[in-house]
Amino acid sequence: MRKYAFVALLLSPWIIGFLAFQLIPMALSFYYSFTHYDIISSPKWIGLSNYKFMFGIGGAQDPYYMTGVKNTLWIIAFGVPLRIATGMATAMLLTRPRRGTNVYRTLFFMPSVAPRVGAALVFVYLLNPIGPFNQLLDAVPGISPPLWFGDPQWAKPALLFVGIWGVGDAIVLYMAGLLNIPKQLYEAIAIEGANAWQRFRHVTLPMLTPVIFFSLIIGVIDGFQYFDQAYIASGPASGNHDLGDPQNSLLFYGIWLYEQAFRYFHMGYAAAMAWVMFVAIMICTAVLLLTSKRWVHYGGGGLS
Amino acid sequence: MKVHTRIRRWGGALLLLGATVAAAGCGGGGDSGGASSGPLKVDKTPVTITLRHPWTGDEKKIFEQTLQGFHDKYPWITVKTIGYPDSDTFDQQIVIKTINAGDPPDAFLSFGPDYVGQYCSSGLWQDLSTYMKRDNISIDDFAQAALTYTNFDGKQCALPSLTDSFGLYYNKDLFAKAGITAPPKTMTELMDDAKKLTQRNPDGSIKVAGFVPLQDWGQQGISDLARMWGAQWFDDSGKPAFASDPNWAAAMQWQKELVDWYGYDNIAKFFQSYNGNEFSASNALETGKVAMMFDGEWRTAFIKREHPELNYDTAFMPAADSDPNLYGAARVGGTIVGIPKGSPHPDQAWLLVKYLSHDPAYLVPMANAVGNVPTTAESAGSPDLALPPQFHTFIDVWNNADSSFSPPLTPSGAGYAKLLSDFDNKWVAGKVSDLQSGLTTLDSDVENQLQLGEAP
Repeated sequence: MRKYAFVALLLSPWIIGFLAFQLIPMALSFYYSFTHYDIISSPKWIGLSNYKFMFGIGGAQDPYYMTGVKNTLWIIAFGVPLRIATGMATAMLLTRPRRGTNVYRTLFFMPSVAPRVGAALVFVYLLNPIGPFNQLLDAVPGISPPLWFGDPQWAKPALLFVGIWGVGDAIVLYMAGLLNIPKQLYEAIAIEGANAWQRFRHVTLPMLTPVIFFSLIIGVIDGFQYFDQAYIASGPASGNHDLGDPQNSLLFYGIWLYEQAFRYFHMGYAAAMAWVMFVAIMICTAVLLLTSKRWVHYGGGGLS
Repeated sequence: MKVHTRIRRWGGALLLLGATVAAAGCGGGGDSGGASSGPLKVDKTPVTITLRHPWTGDEKKIFEQTLQGFHDKYPWITVKTIGYPDSDTFDQQIVIKTINAGDPPDAFLSFGPDYVGQYCSSGLWQDLSTYMKRDNISIDDFAQAALTYTNFDGKQCALPSLTDSFGLYYNKDLFAKAGITAPPKTMTELMDDAKKLTQRNPDGSIKVAGFVPLQDWGQQGISDLARMWGAQWFDDSGKPAFASDPNWAAAMQWQKELVDWYGYDNIAKFFQSYNGNEFSASNALETGKVAMMFDGEWRTAFIKREHPELNYDTAFMPAADSDPNLYGAARVGGTIVGIPKGSPHPDQAWLLVKYLSHDPAYLVPMANAVGNVPTTAESAGSPDLALPPQFHTFIDVWNNADSSFSPPLTPSGAGYAKLLSDFDNKWVAGKVSDLQSGLTTLDSDVENQLQLGEAP
């Protein structure tokens, strides 16, 4: 019995932390999602009203909810594959033996150490309509540089730069994956006369699928929660007036949730939005896990 | 909405980098003539009270220097100041959280009048009427417009402490070049002058714009234009009035006519190219890219620092031809000060609130230093006020009885204004086929948004 008490004592910091900072807040937010709650007065039960307003069931719909959903799906659809592709490509370059490899590896990894907010601020400066990047583009004949965070068409693409720039964390994973591929596989396929593309297609890619799968899941989850970069890019730093500007092109799900919670104090509605996001993330992850059996290859069994 | 607060934080902070630091010298403000206006039976036990205030950087230094005048006047009260983590977004969160936790400061100074409706209706901030009556302070000492953002449901739960107000800046050189002798006074004149002043590149794009009529161009919103027609946000029963008040449609038609004259793509491109430079020395007005611009009083200080060579003047915003009496009115609104529920020393806090809102010893040096409009008649008439001649437009706007804060206060903030902005952006882009039915939808969207904030 004393043994268990001792174990419980050792576990207690975690248990207390888990209860105080995770389980109880989660349970409360679930409760709030069925209430009207403005922080000032105590929550009032309103049943499913928040959820109905979100989806426009049996009445009015939040006019910005779908804007947030669409923008978020956009950033997932473009941002995640782009980060996977650039992360993998860079890792392949960096695993080639050459002089100064470690210097390059450090250089490519460094941006991912920078805080997202700082990175976003740097890009807001670089991509200013009359900033350094556009001055470079101006020098190219025949190009009229886009206005990036000033233009609803270009604001989301501009954010992709921030994502690619900070791809260092993914690079490390891909490098580890690449260095783990047994040399014999390449030797074997070389004997069969495979060219570079075939080596990539039939050895490198399949052997990297566990890493790709991992970055896909993490990327999708991050994409749903996309916030920091958009918060900076749509804020005063880039001359925009309102979170989500220009013209709501950066109104991501997380941004709208934040606005509802902390600008308008619709805490109940914001909690409902958070729970819908949570369920959406769970479903997406489950679907990815199910499909993974078909395309993710775990080493050890040899190439089939 | 947060336009106001944003100005303070960015505009003010930038401004202070400039010449105005010199004004700090007169910030001591020890010449107020003693505590003559103080209450008679005063508890003079030494006490320390706390004040949350949002000033940062150099402005904070000046603020705290000027605050010293309070201690000189009431030597038994020491003021301890605390900042906000981020005055732009967290004012109201700090207000609510500290009050709810039972640990509020004695008084709050905040840049965010948007939430006064909430503070008053929920009792988060105390009604100051009793104190005001006792000390013979009337809202008339300030201006009628002060009521529109310090009073809600008849509760005077805040007082103004310097403000922003808005008017029309115009470039006199460009006016002379176009042969225009006086600033426009009506919307028809504004449209005509805008066209005359516009210069185009050979490809039709805009080189110099006479007047940019778009929502979110600088500080301008469609509501700032529509108010010159007398448009009301809500009808007498408190319902959104975008469809029922024909002035909204009139203003939007006016706006669309000018947008179409430029060509939407041209003016949108111009907007995107220059709007991001609002608070830099590349500002479109300051660099002669626009001839006329709706902007706040702080721009006078910006111009003085960044482009002293600019030959400009200020005027009232033109009024609709049908409403000439509205000439001279515009949007106003600024810093507020109040006493929270649960303030440990409300009586002493009131003396501080009175000092920050009413005492020229504070208002005059602070207005000089940060370039905002002094909010009492007494301070606005002070001989010590050292602001450029173009500034007087803004003092007059503040004192105009038709000036008001907007969007109007509600118990759940000002988030509903976003719906109007977004609708107007769609309208000028030609994405609204039927204006009237669009405005009807806008009414119900605003209604729904407000209902979300209302307790069942």
